[in-house]
Amino acid sequence: MGQHYDVLVIGGGHNGLVNAAYLARAGKKVLVLERRAVLGGSAVTEEIIPGFLFSECSYVVSLLRPEIIRELDLPRHGLEILPLDGTFTPMLNGDHLWRVNDHAKTQREIRRHSRLDAEAYDEFSKMMVPMCRFVKPILSMIPPDPTSLNPRDLRKLYFLSRRLQQLSSDERYTLIQLMTMSAADFLDQWFETDALKATMSASGIIGTFLGIRSPGTAYVLLHHYMGEIDGAFRSWGFSRGGTGAISNAIASAAREAGAEIRTQAPVAKILVKNGRATGVALESGEELSATIVSSSADPHLTFEKFLDPKELPSDFLEDVRRYKFRGSSGKVNLALDALPDFKTIPGPGAHLRGAISLSPSMDYMERAYDDAKYGRFSRRPYVDMVIPSLTDPSVAPAGKHVLSCFVQYAPYKLAPGEGTWDDQREKFGDTVIDTIAEHAPNIKSIIRGRQVLTPLDLEREFGLTQGNIFQGELSLEQLFFLRPAPGWAYYRTPIDSLYMCGSATHPGGGIMGAPGRIASQVILKEWKKAS
Amino acid sequence: MAPRQRIVLVGGGHNALVAAFYLAKAGFKPLVLERREQPGGAAVTEEFHPGFRVSSLAHTAGPLRADVARDMRVEKFDCAMIHPDPRVFAPAPDGRAILFYNDHAKTAGGLARLSAKDAAKYTEFASALAEVAEVLAQLTRVTPPAIDHPSPEDLWNLLKVGRNIRSLGKKRIFDLLRWGPMAVADFVSEFFETELLRSAIAARGIFGAALGPWSAGSTAVLLLRAAADPHPAGAASFSRGGLGSLTRALAESARKAGAEIRTNAEVAHIRGKDGAVTGVVLASGEEIACDAVVSGVDPKRTFFQLVDPAQLDPAFVLRIKNLRASGTVAKVHLALGDLPAFPALASVIGPDGFRQGLSGRIHIGPELDYLERAFDASKYGEFSAHPWLDVTIPTLSDSTLAPAGKHVLSACVQFAPFRLRHGDWTTQRDALGKAVLQTLETYSPGLSSHVEALQVITPQDLESTYGLTGGHIFHGELALDQLFTMRPVLDWARYRSPLRGLYLCGSGTHPGNGLTGASGANAAREISRDLR
Repeated sequence: MGQHYDVLVIGGGHNGLVNAAYLARAGKKVLVLERRAVLGGSAVTEEIIPGFLFSECSYVVSLLRPEIIRELDLPRHGLEILPLDGTFTPMLNGDHLWRVNDHAKTQREIRRHSRLDAEAYDEFSKMMVPMCRFVKPILSMIPPDPTSLNPRDLRKLYFLSRRLQQLSSDERYTLIQLMTMSAADFLDQWFETDALKATMSASGIIGTFLGIRSPGTAYVLLHHYMGEIDGAFRSWGFSRGGTGAISNAIASAAREAGAEIRTQAPVAKILVKNGRATGVALESGEELSATIVSSSADPHLTFEKFLDPKELPSDFLEDVRRYKFRGSSGKVNLALDALPDFKTIPGPGAHLRGAISLSPSMDYMERAYDDAKYGRFSRRPYVDMVIPSLTDPSVAPAGKHVLSCFVQYAPYKLAPGEGTWDDQREKFGDTVIDTIAEHAPNIKSIIRGRQVLTPLDLEREFGLTQGNIFQGELSLEQLFFLRPAPGWAYYRTPIDSLYMCGSATHPGGGIMGAPGRIASQVILKEWKKAS
Repeated sequence: MAPRQRIVLVGGGHNALVAAFYLAKAGFKPLVLERREQPGGAAVTEEFHPGFRVSSLAHTAGPLRADVARDMRVEKFDCAMIHPDPRVFAPAPDGRAILFYNDHAKTAGGLARLSAKDAAKYTEFASALAEVAEVLAQLTRVTPPAIDHPSPEDLWNLLKVGRNIRSLGKKRIFDLLRWGPMAVADFVSEFFETELLRSAIAARGIFGAALGPWSAGSTAVLLLRAAADPHPAGAASFSRGGLGSLTRALAESARKAGAEIRTNAEVAHIRGKDGAVTGVVLASGEEIACDAVVSGVDPKRTFFQLVDPAQLDPAFVLRIKNLRASGTVAKVHLALGDLPAFPALASVIGPDGFRQGLSGRIHIGPELDYLERAFDASKYGEFSAHPWLDVTIPTLSDSTLAPAGKHVLSACVQFAPFRLRHGDWTTQRDALGKAVLQTLETYSPGLSSHVEALQVITPQDLESTYGLTGGHIFHGELALDQLFTMRPVLDWARYRSPLRGLYLCGSGTHPGNGLTGASGANAAREISRDLR
């Protein structure tokens, strides 16, 4: 065996790096092991086409915890968040809906479609503030065990019920709705404009295998609504240099604190002795020993690939096998010679600087889901596009652009008769481009190169089991004290000294960093107890 | 008691009758006013073709809660309950089938032909369901707690429920927490591999709901049903003479206890003054002054049509407006010249058992995806071309319902959305009937040739004839956000309303859900406490 480390962190995605940075800052001797040649996991920037930098997977940032930015001093390490202003929804009738951060302007725009909705939008925005406030502290708390009588857990449950009691009746009503309803039903109560509801409900399905009419999606809507930069709710942004720059900034903070980071160091096994993790074996055969192993990989990889199932209690193994990934999205990254020209607002303009959401109607969204339910990718998918090169020219050659398209639905499991993802990849890419062409007909003539990432590619390339971008669905039965497994939502595992710190733990996915940070707190606390 | 000291119940559905009984027992003198010519609401027996009678809407009891049945002594009032065994026959188009017996081991024995694994899992599933159902059944009996200021009784109830939940053990508690918000398709797939079995059980999670088996939260609906009857395939509980004789017995029992029941007495308006009810006005113009009004009709009708909404708090009105109550169920009745043949029966029972095999419910919906596709149509305002059918042939166990040798087939049809996008139910009625016949024909070739008459009750009829707003058979969607402390709406789940003296006792209140009488019994408890 080589050197001994205090902590080995498996995976150099943003959560693994956050975890390592905090542990290193606490004086631990930490080594991060990344399988790929580049750091960042799904928050990664790569030059796929010469001169064009793609934020290959995750493409916008909003949920990154402000305390992490602050505590790790990320701006000093090169993090710069550029605002992403607005959401532009082209509609099929030739009109559009364009919401921007300027509330009054958005209201005027919505009034064009519905006077009632313009008023409701105001109320809605106001109501969402206490909702986000309620959930915010939950994002940085270790979930309580609802079955335990331990005073610590009871205290947390009491804290939550007190907070619920302190809400006004209307707030409580809305909160319960957000926790239990479908995004569509929830929004139906507020608005009448189809394109507005469709676009807003779209954030309720991201990364889930649910339709906008399925209960549970209102929560995901809230999860995405909580995006914050510097404490301002509901703002999304780009990171200069692509999302990989976020990972690099965190890595830099970790290194500065003394953490070592090795790339191209794929882990093959977690070494276990007498029910205790003692280190890892790399695919190269090299073995590393450590007091603690912290895995940012998902439960499938951590427990079914890196560990011998025999090491695990059968109940737990059953939970791991049952854990739902069900990737439902793909990514299409385009290198463009010019800007897309939308029929509803021709030419370049500020509408291209924000998110462009191809979600013209509720039925459109629902039909996209229907395709996926029966095992094929949506013939007319929901596409969320951004053109980061407009805000950050460093990611493309002068005058050229990068178009990043998040596409849903693309089910990991295709039905028999629908082929395999390896032979459907290009057809999937074509479908996405055809869909864009319905709104921006010039798209086909300006594409210089493209990268199509199917759920299978996300699994192979980025280690996301079944291509789930959140390391497991954000469905109600897999959240909070149920994430990733009932009774194991506390970053610990049935193996002593083995911890989890990735998106598969509370509070889940997105470039948030919260799982990595909370896991570091758990590890440090137990370290102190042990010594 | 002075004559003014009286409670008027609006609507003579089963929950109102149960409430009237308990109120009478508590010493009040309740008066039930029913709009139609017979009490029973959605549980009535009617002649739909000369000589052919059928349970018009509900065709099986929930079943009636045991303590209610005992207290009201329904069997004494000429109501004979029939409990067919097997309870459910589920055929597949390929000729395979499942019979769900009361005895789980017997059911498992039959399942072994389809999957040894499923057969082994079935009893485990049945007991898991029974375990959690017991705890949930207790929850259905309590009044949802007041969140702001829980009463000592609320806390006591919660403590009792909490203790029972704890007795389930850590693993089961987590199961319960996990299962509730799950899609019922996932839930059944955790146990079983045979699609036919999965779909027959999962169907309970979507009955009467605007949910497909892949909609999250549908397991909660299944668990709520399990609280009333923990059998995996659900209840099959009829009464001789159709369910109308059950509600007639409830009415008789209530009368005997001291309640007065008037039919053909439509309440047009609930009168209020200074935030309290003062009486009701009938459609005939007659006015009845009273201290309390208990509405057995759905919340939307109660607060928007019977009460002047101006008397209510706007926040409350908004919540009632947002209450989702758009129905998805239609009903089709066939008068049959002969008993239809279901060839798939031969795979599970000998020829001698054919009649018995069909005597419970017949589940037509062989796969989860079949159910899901049936649901898909409703999302776009269409009825299912291949609907899920919950069928009974009540004449097999009760020959009084049809002329000798003839039969009645009753089918709950899902999905039939209240609001059609193209056309309306007057023009689509026949098309729905046709789709149902075609679907039945797949499982029972030749059935159409026995049809002497066909009646379609559309969701529109459910509203206009039976008074169910939006055609919703449960007075409001059974969904996570409309259950327990949120049923019908948050802060008003304790059977009371912002108008003092106005109460709710129908299916739109906790626990809702089918012919169990639970809402009525719970409401009566709260009302007598207030008025005592």
